[in-house]
Amino acid sequence: MNELEQITIIDDVMEDKEQLITQLMDEYSDGILYLVYTYVKNRTIAEDLTQEIFLKCYEKLDQFHHQASLKTWLYRIASNHCKDYLRSWHYRKVSLTEKIWDYIPSKSKEVEEEVIAKHQGDNLSQAVMSLPIKYREIVFLHFYEELSFREISKVTTVNINTIKTRMKRAKEILKEKMKEEV
Amino acid sequence: MTGPLFNLKKAMKKNVFQDFSFSEERKNAVKETIRRKHSQQQLHVWQEKTIIAVLELLQLQSKHGYDISTQLFQKQEFSFQGEEGQLYTLLHLLESKKMITSEWINERKYYTLALKGKKCVTGYYTESSKSFLELKQLMEECTYEFKSY
Repeated sequence: MNELEQITIIDDVMEDKEQLITQLMDEYSDGILYLVYTYVKNRTIAEDLTQEIFLKCYEKLDQFHHQASLKTWLYRIASNHCKDYLRSWHYRKVSLTEKIWDYIPSKSKEVEEEVIAKHQGDNLSQAVMSLPIKYREIVFLHFYEELSFREISKVTTVNINTIKTRMKRAKEILKEKMKEEV
Repeated sequence: MTGPLFNLKKAMKKNVFQDFSFSEERKNAVKETIRRKHSQQQLHVWQEKTIIAVLELLQLQSKHGYDISTQLFQKQEFSFQGEEGQLYTLLHLLESKKMITSEWINERKYYTLALKGKKCVTGYYTESSKSFLELKQLMEECTYEFKSY
Protein backbone atom coordinates (compact mmCIF):
# COMPACT_ATOMS: atom_id res chain seq x y z
CA MET A 1 0.00 0.00 0.00
CA ASN A 2 1.52 3.31 -0.95
CA GLU A 3 1.52 6.29 1.27
CA LEU A 4 -1.22 8.18 -0.46
CA GLU A 5 -3.59 5.27 -0.05
CA GLN A 6 -2.62 5.10 3.60
CA ILE A 7 -3.40 8.76 4.06
CA THR A 8 -6.81 8.36 2.46
CA ILE A 9 -7.64 5.40 4.64
CA ILE A 10 -6.60 7.20 7.80
CA ASP A 11 -8.74 10.13 6.71
CA ASP A 12 -11.75 7.88 6.14
CA VAL A 13 -11.36 6.20 9.49
CA MET A 14 -11.09 9.54 11.24
CA GLU A 15 -14.21 10.81 9.54
CA ASP A 16 -16.06 7.61 10.44
CA LYS A 17 -15.00 7.99 14.05
CA GLU A 18 -16.14 11.57 14.17
CA GLN A 19 -19.42 10.54 12.58
CA LEU A 20 -19.86 7.79 15.15
CA ILE A 21 -19.23 10.11 18.07
CA THR A 22 -21.79 12.54 16.66
CA GLN A 23 -24.33 9.72 16.48
CA LEU A 24 -23.51 8.57 20.00
CA MET A 25 -23.97 12.10 21.29
CA ASP A 26 -27.32 12.46 19.57
CA GLU A 27 -28.52 9.21 21.04
CA TYR A 28 -26.97 9.03 24.49
CA SER A 29 -25.75 12.45 25.59
CA ASP A 30 -28.74 13.23 27.81
CA GLY A 31 -28.63 9.76 29.36
CA ILE A 32 -24.94 10.14 30.10
CA LEU A 33 -25.51 13.66 31.41
CA TYR A 34 -28.14 12.42 33.86
CA LEU A 35 -26.00 9.52 34.99
CA VAL A 36 -23.11 11.89 35.59
CA TYR A 37 -25.40 14.26 37.47
CA THR A 38 -26.49 11.51 39.84
CA TYR A 39 -22.83 11.05 40.72
CA VAL A 40 -21.72 14.67 41.03
CA LYS A 41 -25.01 16.53 41.79
CA ASN A 42 -23.91 19.67 39.98
CA ARG A 43 -25.16 20.65 36.54
CA THR A 44 -22.12 22.52 35.27
CA ILE A 45 -19.70 19.85 36.47
CA ALA A 46 -21.96 17.20 34.94
CA GLU A 47 -21.81 19.00 31.58
CA ASP A 48 -18.03 19.36 31.73
CA LEU A 49 -17.57 15.71 32.62
CA THR A 50 -19.96 14.55 29.90
CA GLN A 51 -17.90 16.50 27.38
CA GLU A 52 -14.75 14.78 28.63
CA ILE A 53 -16.46 11.40 28.51
CA PHE A 54 -17.26 11.71 24.80
CA LEU A 55 -13.69 12.72 24.06
CA LYS A 56 -12.52 9.71 26.01
CA CYS A 57 -14.81 7.50 23.92
CA TYR A 58 -13.34 8.97 20.76
CA GLU A 59 -9.85 8.09 21.94
CA LYS A 60 -10.83 4.63 23.13
CA LEU A 61 -12.99 3.72 20.16
CA ASP A 62 -10.32 1.34 18.85
CA GLN A 63 -10.59 -0.62 22.09
CA PHE A 64 -14.26 -1.34 21.61
CA HIS A 65 -14.52 -4.89 20.34
CA HIS A 66 -18.23 -5.57 20.54
CA GLN A 67 -18.03 -7.82 23.62
CA ALA A 68 -20.48 -5.42 25.17
CA SER A 69 -23.19 -3.31 23.62
CA LEU A 70 -22.07 0.17 22.67
CA LYS A 71 -24.39 1.58 25.30
CA THR A 72 -22.99 -0.49 28.18
CA TRP A 73 -19.47 0.33 27.02
CA LEU A 74 -20.28 4.04 26.94
CA TYR A 75 -21.95 3.98 30.34
CA ARG A 76 -19.02 2.13 31.81
CA ILE A 77 -16.61 4.80 30.62
CA ALA A 78 -18.93 7.43 32.07
CA SER A 79 -19.25 5.67 35.41
CA ASN A 80 -15.50 5.21 35.72
CA HIS A 81 -14.86 8.79 34.73
CA CYS A 82 -17.21 10.05 37.44
CA LYS A 83 -15.65 7.87 40.09
CA ASP A 84 -12.21 9.08 39.05
CA TYR A 85 -13.48 12.62 39.37
CA LEU A 86 -14.95 12.03 42.82
CA ARG A 87 -11.62 10.58 43.93
CA SER A 88 -9.64 13.42 42.40
CA TRP A 89 -7.69 15.99 44.31
CA HIS A 90 -9.67 18.77 42.67
CA TYR A 91 -12.99 17.41 43.85
CA ARG A 92 -11.87 16.75 47.37
CA LYS A 93 -10.33 20.19 47.65
CA VAL A 94 -13.41 21.94 46.26
CA SER A 95 -15.84 19.96 48.37
CA LEU A 96 -13.78 20.74 51.46
CA THR A 97 -14.09 24.43 50.65
CA GLU A 98 -17.81 23.97 50.33
CA LYS A 99 -17.98 22.29 53.70
CA ILE A 100 -16.24 25.28 55.23
CA TRP A 101 -18.84 27.53 53.64
CA ASP A 102 -21.50 25.45 55.34
CA TYR A 103 -20.40 26.93 58.65
CA ILE A 104 -20.64 30.48 57.39
CA PRO A 105 -24.23 31.65 57.04
CA SER A 106 -24.79 33.46 53.76
CA LYS A 107 -27.51 34.52 51.43
CA SER A 108 -26.09 32.58 48.48
CA LYS A 109 -26.37 29.39 50.49
CA GLU A 110 -30.10 29.94 50.87
CA VAL A 111 -30.47 30.58 47.17
CA GLU A 112 -28.56 27.43 46.41
CA GLU A 113 -30.81 25.39 48.68
CA GLU A 114 -33.82 26.86 46.99
CA VAL A 115 -32.47 25.81 43.61
CA ILE A 116 -31.76 22.31 44.85
CA ALA A 117 -35.22 22.10 46.39
CA LYS A 118 -36.74 23.18 43.10
CA HIS A 119 -34.80 20.59 41.14
CA GLN A 120 -35.47 17.79 43.57
CA GLY A 121 -38.99 18.78 44.38
CA ASP A 122 -40.32 15.32 45.18
CA ASN A 123 -39.36 13.17 48.11
CA LEU A 124 -38.53 10.14 46.05
CA SER A 125 -35.91 11.79 43.84
CA GLN A 126 -34.49 13.55 46.85
CA ALA A 127 -34.25 10.31 48.80
CA VAL A 128 -32.52 8.55 45.90
CA MET A 129 -30.11 11.43 45.36
CA SER A 130 -29.11 11.36 49.01
CA LEU A 131 -28.17 7.68 48.93
CA PRO A 132 -24.48 6.76 49.21
CA ILE A 133 -22.97 6.44 45.74
CA LYS A 134 -22.78 2.65 45.62
CA TYR A 135 -26.54 2.45 46.13
CA ARG A 136 -27.41 5.56 44.15
CA GLU A 137 -25.73 4.34 40.96
CA ILE A 138 -27.51 1.00 40.86
CA VAL A 139 -30.92 2.46 41.74
CA PHE A 140 -30.51 5.01 38.96
CA LEU A 141 -29.27 2.49 36.40
CA HIS A 142 -32.03 0.02 37.23
CA PHE A 143 -35.07 2.23 37.73
CA TYR A 144 -34.22 5.17 35.52
CA GLU A 145 -32.13 3.62 32.77
CA GLU A 146 -34.00 0.32 33.10
CA LEU A 147 -30.83 -1.73 32.81
CA SER A 148 -30.88 -5.35 33.96
CA PHE A 149 -28.66 -6.43 36.88
CA ARG A 150 -26.41 -8.16 34.35
CA GLU A 151 -25.97 -4.91 32.41
CA ILE A 152 -25.42 -2.93 35.60
CA SER A 153 -22.75 -5.43 36.52
CA LYS A 154 -20.98 -4.69 33.22
CA VAL A 155 -21.28 -0.94 33.65
CA THR A 156 -20.10 -0.79 37.26
CA THR A 157 -17.78 -3.85 37.19
CA VAL A 158 -19.47 -4.99 40.39
CA ASN A 159 -20.41 -8.65 40.82
CA ILE A 160 -24.05 -9.37 40.07
CA ASN A 161 -24.76 -10.85 43.50
CA THR A 162 -23.27 -7.82 45.19
CA ILE A 163 -25.60 -5.69 43.10
CA LYS A 164 -28.60 -7.71 44.28
CA THR A 165 -27.56 -7.30 47.92
CA ARG A 166 -26.97 -3.60 47.47
CA MET A 167 -30.32 -3.15 45.79
CA LYS A 168 -32.04 -4.81 48.74
CA ARG A 169 -30.18 -2.57 51.16
CA ALA A 170 -30.91 0.52 49.03
CA LYS A 171 -34.62 -0.21 49.16
CA GLU A 172 -34.46 -0.53 52.95
CA ILE A 173 -32.69 2.80 53.30
CA LEU A 174 -35.16 4.46 50.97
CA LYS A 175 -38.09 3.04 52.90
CA GLU A 176 -36.69 4.54 56.11
CA LYS A 177 -36.10 7.88 54.46
CA MET A 178 -39.56 8.06 52.97
CA LYS A 179 -41.08 7.17 56.32
CA GLU A 180 -39.24 10.06 57.97
CA GLU A 181 -40.52 12.45 55.33
CA VAL A 182 -44.12 11.44 55.86
CA MET B 1 -41.07 -0.22 48.06
CA THR B 2 -40.74 -1.30 44.46
CA GLY B 3 -43.98 0.52 43.78
CA PRO B 4 -42.77 4.09 44.29
CA LEU B 5 -39.41 3.31 42.66
CA PHE B 6 -41.15 2.61 39.39
CA ASN B 7 -42.16 6.25 39.46
CA LEU B 8 -38.55 7.30 39.81
CA LYS B 9 -38.03 7.95 36.12
CA LYS B 10 -41.05 10.18 35.88
CA ALA B 11 -40.24 11.98 39.12
CA MET B 12 -36.61 12.64 38.22
CA LYS B 13 -37.50 13.77 34.71
CA LYS B 14 -40.01 16.20 36.11
CA ASN B 15 -37.86 17.57 38.90
CA VAL B 16 -34.16 16.77 38.92
CA PHE B 17 -33.59 16.83 35.16
CA GLN B 18 -36.10 19.47 34.20
CA ASP B 19 -34.73 21.88 31.56
CA PHE B 20 -31.47 19.97 31.67
CA SER B 21 -29.98 18.69 28.44
CA PHE B 22 -26.60 18.28 26.76
CA SER B 23 -26.75 21.39 24.59
CA GLU B 24 -25.72 21.81 20.94
CA GLU B 25 -22.90 24.10 22.11
CA ARG B 26 -21.53 21.34 24.30
CA LYS B 27 -21.78 18.84 21.44
CA ASN B 28 -20.02 21.25 19.12
CA ALA B 29 -17.27 21.75 21.67
CA VAL B 30 -16.65 17.98 21.62
CA LYS B 31 -16.60 17.90 17.81
CA GLU B 32 -14.28 20.90 17.69
CA THR B 33 -11.77 19.24 20.02
CA ILE B 34 -11.91 16.05 17.95
CA ARG B 35 -11.26 18.01 14.77
CA ARG B 36 -8.31 19.78 16.36
CA LYS B 37 -6.77 16.47 17.39
CA HIS B 38 -7.47 15.11 13.93
CA SER B 39 -5.66 17.96 12.17
CA GLN B 40 -2.62 17.49 14.39
CA GLN B 41 -2.45 13.90 13.25
CA GLN B 42 -2.88 15.03 9.66
CA LEU B 43 0.08 17.33 10.06
CA HIS B 44 2.15 14.31 10.78
CA VAL B 45 0.69 12.50 7.79
CA TRP B 46 1.18 15.08 5.10
CA GLN B 47 4.59 16.20 6.00
CA GLU B 48 6.50 13.27 4.64
CA LYS B 49 5.34 13.74 1.08
CA THR B 50 5.50 17.49 1.44
CA ILE B 51 9.10 17.37 2.56
CA ILE B 52 9.98 15.17 -0.39
CA ALA B 53 8.15 17.49 -2.76
CA VAL B 54 10.11 20.47 -1.47
CA LEU B 55 13.44 18.65 -1.66
CA GLU B 56 12.69 17.43 -5.19
CA LEU B 57 12.11 20.95 -6.42
CA LEU B 58 15.63 21.85 -5.37
CA GLN B 59 17.24 18.84 -7.07
CA LEU B 60 18.24 20.56 -10.30
CA GLN B 61 18.84 24.14 -9.22
CA SER B 62 18.70 26.56 -6.33
CA LYS B 63 15.43 28.37 -5.86
CA HIS B 64 14.00 31.06 -3.66
CA GLY B 65 10.95 30.66 -1.47
CA TYR B 66 8.36 32.18 -3.78
CA ASP B 67 9.48 29.93 -6.65
CA ILE B 68 9.20 26.89 -4.43
CA SER B 69 5.76 27.95 -3.32
CA THR B 70 4.39 28.39 -6.86
CA GLN B 71 6.02 25.22 -8.14
CA LEU B 72 4.52 23.23 -5.28
CA PHE B 73 1.13 24.30 -6.54
CA GLN B 74 2.08 23.18 -10.04
CA LYS B 75 2.98 19.82 -8.55
CA GLN B 76 -0.49 19.66 -6.99
CA GLU B 77 1.02 19.98 -3.54
CA PHE B 78 -1.40 22.21 -1.66
CA SER B 79 -0.25 21.70 1.92
CA PHE B 80 0.81 25.32 2.25
CA GLN B 81 -2.24 26.80 0.59
CA GLY B 82 -3.58 29.60 2.71
CA GLU B 83 -0.66 29.34 5.10
CA GLU B 84 2.33 30.03 2.86
CA GLY B 85 4.30 31.20 5.87
CA GLN B 86 4.56 27.59 7.01
CA LEU B 87 6.72 26.84 3.98
CA TYR B 88 9.42 29.13 5.34
CA THR B 89 9.20 27.43 8.69
CA LEU B 90 9.75 24.09 6.99
CA LEU B 91 12.62 25.45 4.86
CA HIS B 92 14.23 26.83 7.98
CA LEU B 93 13.91 23.45 9.69
CA LEU B 94 15.31 21.57 6.70
CA GLU B 95 18.24 23.95 6.71
CA SER B 96 18.90 23.39 10.39
CA LYS B 97 18.81 19.63 9.73
CA LYS B 98 21.40 20.21 6.98
CA MET B 99 19.10 18.82 4.30
CA ILE B 100 19.40 22.05 2.37
CA THR B 101 21.71 25.08 2.39
CA SER B 102 20.88 28.67 1.64
CA GLU B 103 22.59 31.83 0.48
CA TRP B 104 21.56 35.40 -0.14
CA ILE B 105 21.75 36.56 -3.76
CA ASN B 106 20.38 39.99 -4.72
CA GLU B 107 18.45 40.28 -1.48
CA ARG B 108 16.75 36.96 -2.03
CA LYS B 109 17.45 33.78 -0.19
CA TYR B 110 18.19 30.85 -2.47
CA TYR B 111 17.91 27.31 -1.21
CA THR B 112 20.09 24.45 -2.50
CA LEU B 113 19.75 20.75 -1.89
CA ALA B 114 22.55 19.45 0.35
CA LEU B 115 24.04 15.96 0.20
CA LYS B 116 21.89 14.73 3.07
CA GLY B 117 18.79 15.99 1.30
CA LYS B 118 19.79 14.26 -1.93
CA LYS B 119 20.19 10.97 -0.09
CA CYS B 120 16.81 11.49 1.49
CA VAL B 121 15.08 11.89 -1.88
CA THR B 122 16.82 8.91 -3.49
CA GLY B 123 16.19 6.85 -0.38
CA TYR B 124 12.53 7.72 -0.52
CA TYR B 125 12.14 6.31 -4.03
CA THR B 126 14.45 3.31 -3.75
CA GLU B 127 12.94 2.63 -0.35
CA SER B 128 16.40 1.98 1.06
CA SER B 129 15.84 1.22 4.68
CA LYS B 130 18.62 3.39 6.06
CA SER B 131 17.48 6.58 4.37
CA PHE B 132 13.93 5.65 5.17
CA LEU B 133 14.76 5.51 8.86
CA GLU B 134 16.53 8.85 8.59
CA LEU B 135 13.49 10.35 6.95
CA LYS B 136 11.22 8.95 9.63
CA GLN B 137 13.43 10.45 12.26
CA LEU B 138 13.42 13.77 10.49
CA MET B 139 9.67 13.59 10.23
CA GLU B 140 9.35 13.13 13.93
CA GLU B 141 11.67 16.00 14.66
CA CYS B 142 9.82 18.23 12.22
CA THR B 143 6.44 17.30 13.57
CA TYR B 144 7.64 17.90 17.06
CA GLU B 145 9.05 21.29 16.20
CA PHE B 146 5.97 22.20 14.20
CA LYS B 147 3.80 21.56 17.18
CA SER B 148 5.91 23.71 19.43
CA TYR B 149 5.59 26.68 17.08
